[in-house]
Amino acid sequence: MRDRHLGFVAAAATLLAAAPLSTIFERWTWLIQCAVAVALVAGAATLARSLRAPLWAQLLGMVATLTLVLTLMFSSGEELLAIIPMPGTFAHFGQLMNFAVDDMRSYGVPVPDRVGLQFLTVLGVGSVAILVDLLTVALRRPALAGLPMLAIYSVPVAVYTDSVHPLPFVIGAVGFLWLLVADNVDRVRRFGRRFTGDGRDVDVWEPSPLAAAGRRLAVVGVALAVLLPLAVPGMTSGLLANFGAGGSGPGGNGRGTGGRVDLFANLSGELKQTDDREMVKVTTNDDRPQYIRFGVADELTNDGFRSGRRAASSPLKDGLPPFQDPGAGVNTGRFRATLEVTEDFDMGLLPIYATPVAIENFKGTWFYDPNQQVVFASRSSARKQKYTVEYIRASYTASALRQADPVPQQDPMVEQYTAMPRNQQVQERVDELVQGKSTPYERVRAIYDFFSVKNGFSYSLQTEGGTGGNAIVDFLTNRRGFCQQYAAAMAWMVRAAGIPARVAFGFSSGSNRRDGDSFTLTNKNLHAWTEVYFGPRFGWVPFDATPAASVAGSIRSDYAPDVDATPEVEPSTSTSAGPAPNVPGGTVGPQDDTNDSADLGAGVGSTTPTTPRWPWFTIGAVILLLALLAVPALRRSLLRRQRQSAGGGAPAAAAGAGGGPGDGPRIVVTDVAAAGRAREDAHAAWAELLDTMVDYRVPIDLTETPRATADRLVRGGLVDGSSAEAARLLGRAEERARYARDPLQAGRLGEGLRAVRKALASRANRRTRLAARLLPPSVLLRWRQAIVESSIRTVLTSGRMRDGLLRWSPRRLLTRPSR
Amino acid sequence: MTQPSWDQLGGPLSGTEFRAASDAIVANIEQVIEGKTATVRLALAVLLAEGHLLIEDVPGVGKTKLAKAMARSIDCSVRRIQFTPDLLPSDVTGVSVYNQETHDFEFKPGAVFANLVVGDEINRASPKTQSALLESMEERQVTVDGTTYELQTPFMVIATQNPIEMEGTYPLPEAQRDRFTARIAMGYPDPGAELAMLDVHGTSDPIVALKPVSDASTVRRLIATVREVHVADAVKQYAVNLVTATREAPDLRLGASPRSTLQLLRTARAVAALEGRDYVLPDDLQTLAVPVMAHRIIPTADAQLARRTTDAIIADIVHRLPLPHERQRSPYDNRPPAGDGRAQYDPRRG
Repeated sequence: MRDRHLGFVAAAATLLAAAPLSTIFERWTWLIQCAVAVALVAGAATLARSLRAPLWAQLLGMVATLTLVLTLMFSSGEELLAIIPMPGTFAHFGQLMNFAVDDMRSYGVPVPDRVGLQFLTVLGVGSVAILVDLLTVALRRPALAGLPMLAIYSVPVAVYTDSVHPLPFVIGAVGFLWLLVADNVDRVRRFGRRFTGDGRDVDVWEPSPLAAAGRRLAVVGVALAVLLPLAVPGMTSGLLANFGAGGSGPGGNGRGTGGRVDLFANLSGELKQTDDREMVKVTTNDDRPQYIRFGVADELTNDGFRSGRRAASSPLKDGLPPFQDPGAGVNTGRFRATLEVTEDFDMGLLPIYATPVAIENFKGTWFYDPNQQVVFASRSSARKQKYTVEYIRASYTASALRQADPVPQQDPMVEQYTAMPRNQQVQERVDELVQGKSTPYERVRAIYDFFSVKNGFSYSLQTEGGTGGNAIVDFLTNRRGFCQQYAAAMAWMVRAAGIPARVAFGFSSGSNRRDGDSFTLTNKNLHAWTEVYFGPRFGWVPFDATPAASVAGSIRSDYAPDVDATPEVEPSTSTSAGPAPNVPGGTVGPQDDTNDSADLGAGVGSTTPTTPRWPWFTIGAVILLLALLAVPALRRSLLRRQRQSAGGGAPAAAAGAGGGPGDGPRIVVTDVAAAGRAREDAHAAWAELLDTMVDYRVPIDLTETPRATADRLVRGGLVDGSSAEAARLLGRAEERARYARDPLQAGRLGEGLRAVRKALASRANRRTRLAARLLPPSVLLRWRQAIVESSIRTVLTSGRMRDGLLRWSPRRLLTRPSR
Repeated sequence: MTQPSWDQLGGPLSGTEFRAASDAIVANIEQVIEGKTATVRLALAVLLAEGHLLIEDVPGVGKTKLAKAMARSIDCSVRRIQFTPDLLPSDVTGVSVYNQETHDFEFKPGAVFANLVVGDEINRASPKTQSALLESMEERQVTVDGTTYELQTPFMVIATQNPIEMEGTYPLPEAQRDRFTARIAMGYPDPGAELAMLDVHGTSDPIVALKPVSDASTVRRLIATVREVHVADAVKQYAVNLVTATREAPDLRLGASPRSTLQLLRTARAVAALEGRDYVLPDDLQTLAVPVMAHRIIPTADAQLARRTTDAIIADIVHRLPLPHERQRSPYDNRPPAGDGRAQYDPRRG
């Protein structure tokens, strides 16, 4: 019976541990399937055990059950009697696995009900159930069962870029702890009868005291596990994220980094959506904002372009590399934009303007790739971020580009960005186009101009995706496509002409419905274009070959004008406000000028490497810590001041002298009020003396009378001379205040206290003195006692409440089981 | 116990007078017993607390001498009983004899009719005789043949016994022991005192030359003064705590009686007065705990096997029992500083 109970707990704990999966799925179908599978597996295990089957038979039974369940749930139609799997079934399973892999690639979390993923989930949870059952019931090692449970939990942790909600973790942890408690209570049951604290047998309706203790520990442990990371600043976003990024950062897992989504697939998918979804809200002081970029595909293989290996990257929080002024021919202006990403843009890539010089207010751990000019993260998402980008807008003149020399063939940039598979047809087309063109710009322009309506190119989203060699040839033949094909084809052809090129992804400047300085970009504004490398002076220059009329917010410039516009208007219709092509670079329009200076003036602080904030946090934390540490000392000095002002108060009205025998001359106070004051003074002085003793590590004996304490101080040589007299006086004053009819009005208790404290301090070692000053043990002791007392009260109260509630427990009605 | 009224005792003495009178008695006794000031003062304190004293020690340390010296120092009626196995109760209490002249029974008072009764070697008498003392010690009266005779004040029994030699002795019954306020041990004198003793006692017994320095009426007034000594509520609480602790101590089969609480406080008053205080301190209780309580309690068999003496057990309890917490101080102490009508004020204290 006990095994059956434990088996049930194991199955339930497995399901609880699967709770974190709820964050991955949109719906709860998986849970129903998993519950059925786990229940059947547990049932099979119980059956096998009740037949006293050996361990291997139990395992076999469970595996078989899981297989049957999977067959039933994900049937291929070829089964015998719908549940007996046939070879076709397993082929189907393999296919489902492939689906799952595909789904994982193409879907973001939370995923809808996909049969492949469901299959994988049921298979995984079922396997975990088998393992947990085996470890817990058969091998009696429930602690080890936490490992497979942890495996389930690690799935959402791996999938989600930022932190996972703590609730599923709590549920999973509760399941695991339940398992542990059940196992241990079971062990004790086997050992013998259980007793309550007062020696009775534990009744069946009562919670086991042992389990209660376990529960209490478990609650505290789980609460700590959840709350502690929340309390430690930066632990969730700092430590773990840094650790994770350190592994997959520079030279890590390369192309996957920050681009789990295939950029091309993503682009075409979004553009083909029917509904408009807002993705980025931009507020900028740039009057002619260029394209926003977030990704680059710079590696060309037979399958097409894809994001290449990142050669270098640096943490974004360390700042960006400084911008080098390219000199004549390139006009630069410095602008600032605030980008607000909605929840619909969920990528490990940050949309930014080209040539950023500073990015602020981002959350999470991000890295900057200076080659691609892309900000990426492996564990953070751009989702719901709001950040500020300061960037340099470069505008090139055709005349300046025309003078650009070809980049030497040995340049690593050329080697890297002209690498491509050979394609005879494309090569022939390019050779034909660039024939007779000498400078790189003329060659690029020849290719760029080729994508014109005149040559039969038109815009269409209804095309096959892909940027591979065949797709490019198809496109050049059919001449129908959208930005993806245009950008890839042009990049391919420019490379074929021996000039470095790559494909950039981002947003066009939108439908230009500007609301003041801000405008919104939707999924329809996603765009791709070509970037061509013109040497270190110019860097990567964007060319958008897609027909301008078909792209909302398409931007042309005089070096790459709209090829479909009439030739006469070419120079003047260019949206660029920059200088005319024949004017040598360097002159800047007045508008730009004012913009520049204003921005530079405002942005001086931010162009210098932004000072990191952690020193302030550290200083604040240290100050806070010091303040907290100073509280006991403050409390102590406050107490002392209060008591000394009491002890050294003005002498009360005293009358009559020489009362009883002995003790020398003294003043007996007759005034009732004054007597009360004198008593309080004596008590205050005595309490202060005791505290001082505690502070200087002189033991306090609760069985000692004031006289005995004072005598001990004198006898032990702790005080001598005048301080000994003072100690005796304090003792006498206190004992008279406590036990005599009339208190002693000594008047100089405050001075006596000071003398005694000085004497005690001179006897103590340095450490004790320091502790007495900084962290007075008397105050700490009192606080500790207060805590202990209050916790005892709490325990007692809760115990009484529990006893009261137990009276209503329905388990009382259960009869005592026969043992 | 019936206590004499104020009128019978006489008015209390002032501090100086008290001191002079008590110091005189102590100094007088010390002429005979050298270097035992504390013991002598304790004996006097028992007298002033209207109690009885049991001196228990090995032979030859001056038990009887202390009793005699005390009796001689006070000019009052002193009777001495040598407890022997053949002593009869009537020897102690008195007996009615037939007077042939008056043809009537006439009461002949026994040895107990005195201010100070010195009972030597009390455990050598039979229990029958020992119990003759019970009524007189507690109730200060003797009932013979249906007639009750009051005893005088002060009345004090000073008994001695030898704890080592048990042959031919009858240990005091518990009821009897409980009637003794305090049990003290003489202890050996220190070498200096013993040397001085050789000089003084070498030629003649100084006790013969001892002259009374006080009388019964002075002692009565001393007793009246002792009754005036103030006992704070905290001290009373401490006394109760001490006695309760003996009843709860795991080492003890029998704890101290309520009578012992009373006698503890009474003796503490006397000790405080002898020290020149008009209030009792917990220190007094601590000093008196062993002499007042140790002879009344019975240790368990385990404690006896572990050779824990009753003295050690009581001392241990005193050492471990905390003083009453300050929060439990008397309301007198806790009254607001401004003072209100609730404050109790004794007009006699001036």
